[in-house]
Amino acid sequence: MTAVTATSLPPATGASQPGSGRASHLLRSELLKIRTTNTWWVFLIGVFLATALAATVWIAVGNSQINTAVAAGGEEFVPPEDAPEAQVEIMRQQFELSQDLTRTLHDVAAEIYTSGQFFGLLFAMLLGILLITNEYHHQTATTTFLVTPRRTRVVLAKLGTAMIGAGFFWAFATVLSIAAGAIFLAAKGYGIQLTEWPVLRAILLNALAYGLWGVLGVGLGVLIRSQIGAVLTGTVAYVIGTFLIQQVVFALYFLLDWEWVLDLMVLWPGVASQVMISPEPPYPQSPAWWVGVLVLVAYGVGFGIIGTLLTRRRDIS
Amino acid sequence: MTDGRIVVSGLTKHYRRVKAVDDLSFEVEPGRVTGFLGPNGAGKTTTLRMLLNLVTPTAGTATIGGRRYADLADPLRQVGAVLEASSAHRARTGRNHLRVICAAAGLPPRRVDEVLTLVGLTPAANRKFKGYSMGMRQRLGIAAAMLGDPRVLVLDEPANGLDPEGIRWMRDLLKGLAAEGRTVLVSSHLLSEMQLLADDVVIIAAGKLVTHGPVAAVVDGMADAGQVRVRTTQPEALVSALGPRAQVRPGPDGALLVTGVDAPAVGAAALRAGAELHELVTEKPDLERVFLELTAGKEAIR
Repeated sequence: MTAVTATSLPPATGASQPGSGRASHLLRSELLKIRTTNTWWVFLIGVFLATALAATVWIAVGNSQINTAVAAGGEEFVPPEDAPEAQVEIMRQQFELSQDLTRTLHDVAAEIYTSGQFFGLLFAMLLGILLITNEYHHQTATTTFLVTPRRTRVVLAKLGTAMIGAGFFWAFATVLSIAAGAIFLAAKGYGIQLTEWPVLRAILLNALAYGLWGVLGVGLGVLIRSQIGAVLTGTVAYVIGTFLIQQVVFALYFLLDWEWVLDLMVLWPGVASQVMISPEPPYPQSPAWWVGVLVLVAYGVGFGIIGTLLTRRRDIS
Repeated sequence: MTDGRIVVSGLTKHYRRVKAVDDLSFEVEPGRVTGFLGPNGAGKTTTLRMLLNLVTPTAGTATIGGRRYADLADPLRQVGAVLEASSAHRARTGRNHLRVICAAAGLPPRRVDEVLTLVGLTPAANRKFKGYSMGMRQRLGIAAAMLGDPRVLVLDEPANGLDPEGIRWMRDLLKGLAAEGRTVLVSSHLLSEMQLLADDVVIIAAGKLVTHGPVAAVVDGMADAGQVRVRTTQPEALVSALGPRAQVRPGPDGALLVTGVDAPAVGAAALRAGAELHELVTEKPDLERVFLELTAGKEAIR
């Protein structure tokens, strides 16, 4: 039985030397889990396609916006006669933006450099979901918690891994869209705008959005352990839910003149991430960008805490 | 360093309607293979999962070397567990599955190849788990359990899905590990295999302890179950010579099954009666019969 005895292991330690459960070990293990399956590059292809498509669209939109701003000169805003006062104010703001080349350039650059955010965030969330639900789907949760009985550390490692993976998606999408946007802006004869704070802020907050959506995915995976159930719930809530909520809110606003519903809309995470990366308000009466940050951070922390507490209490069988 | 002794004390798990495990206490000694037996649904898996901090007990404690599993500093270096055969990502290779565990436990990566060699899985190491046979999955599970070279091994139905050669391999491996002084706790419902493998047994039914102790003692404790098979040309003469203490039933092919007296007494009676014997065998009760008698009437489905 000589083969059984491990010759390469130093003697096992007592309680004094915690070996497993160290954050660096757990992070390395979780990242290895991602790298040793196909999921990550399938998602990366998705991020690539979404970014390339969105960047093309935003470059076309930006092209016409810049042309409008350049052609503008000395025109006066003419308010329409029968419109309510609030709407006239919105139209005035939009008119002024369209006439201001500097603000237009910021807005265009920020839109291009955050291209693909909509589906990129979806992939970040799906990655977070899979990090958890794979453990239940493939029954590896048993092994994972045998190696690290302190379950809080496992969940924290997964939250960290979701953020790292999502950050990787963000870096990939950002490099791609900055390359495309810089070429476009240079061709139009403008600088790449990367040193402008509203543009830089949009890019950095986009990174935060990716990371936080990874965290939301982990939380959702804990709440809905079924892989297919969590993926469907997350995707439907994100894609259709955001669309539906926007439709309902705008309908309420226009039909009943409830202005406060526009303020509340930011409470939906899909809307919050749009609000926080837009240099100019993405919709009239949109709250400031930092409100979006607060909402999304609150969701991230809340889901992280719920996920940890549930995982600690749950029987693994 | 722990002494590797497993102590289960008053362990209880209530689910909403069912007492899966009910005030269970037993001890498992190092250096021996202990079989953990019980009918399906007796609470074996729940007990092992409570021992390993995967399921929270309603009451009671389970310790390994005096510590709860959750309090072990390097759990993989002290306890290796094989709980279900299908516990790896289907699209991950066997080697990568072990690398993931190694990384989390902070063990040197070369242990991966060492345990692959130990379980004979090296040729299939780079194949995906979904292509593994049941036997290969069991071997991968044992490889994972051996990564940390632990003093204590806990296995839940490790013989499931193994072919006869695989079962024999497993038996030799576990006996060898126990001979090195390690604690080996194996649950199973394969009683004939347990009789070959185990030194001690713990038998539970309906979540409660039925009996525990060395296999021989548990089997001999059921002395009533022992009987003598005898074949003779003059059965009437032998029966009258046996006396009133013996109960005699007709057996297969004209043999007589005698209980209440042992084989030498039967032989002596035959000599006195002048009966010609063609066969005289003590039929020892085996673990299976003892088990079935001990757990009879305990409903498996609760």
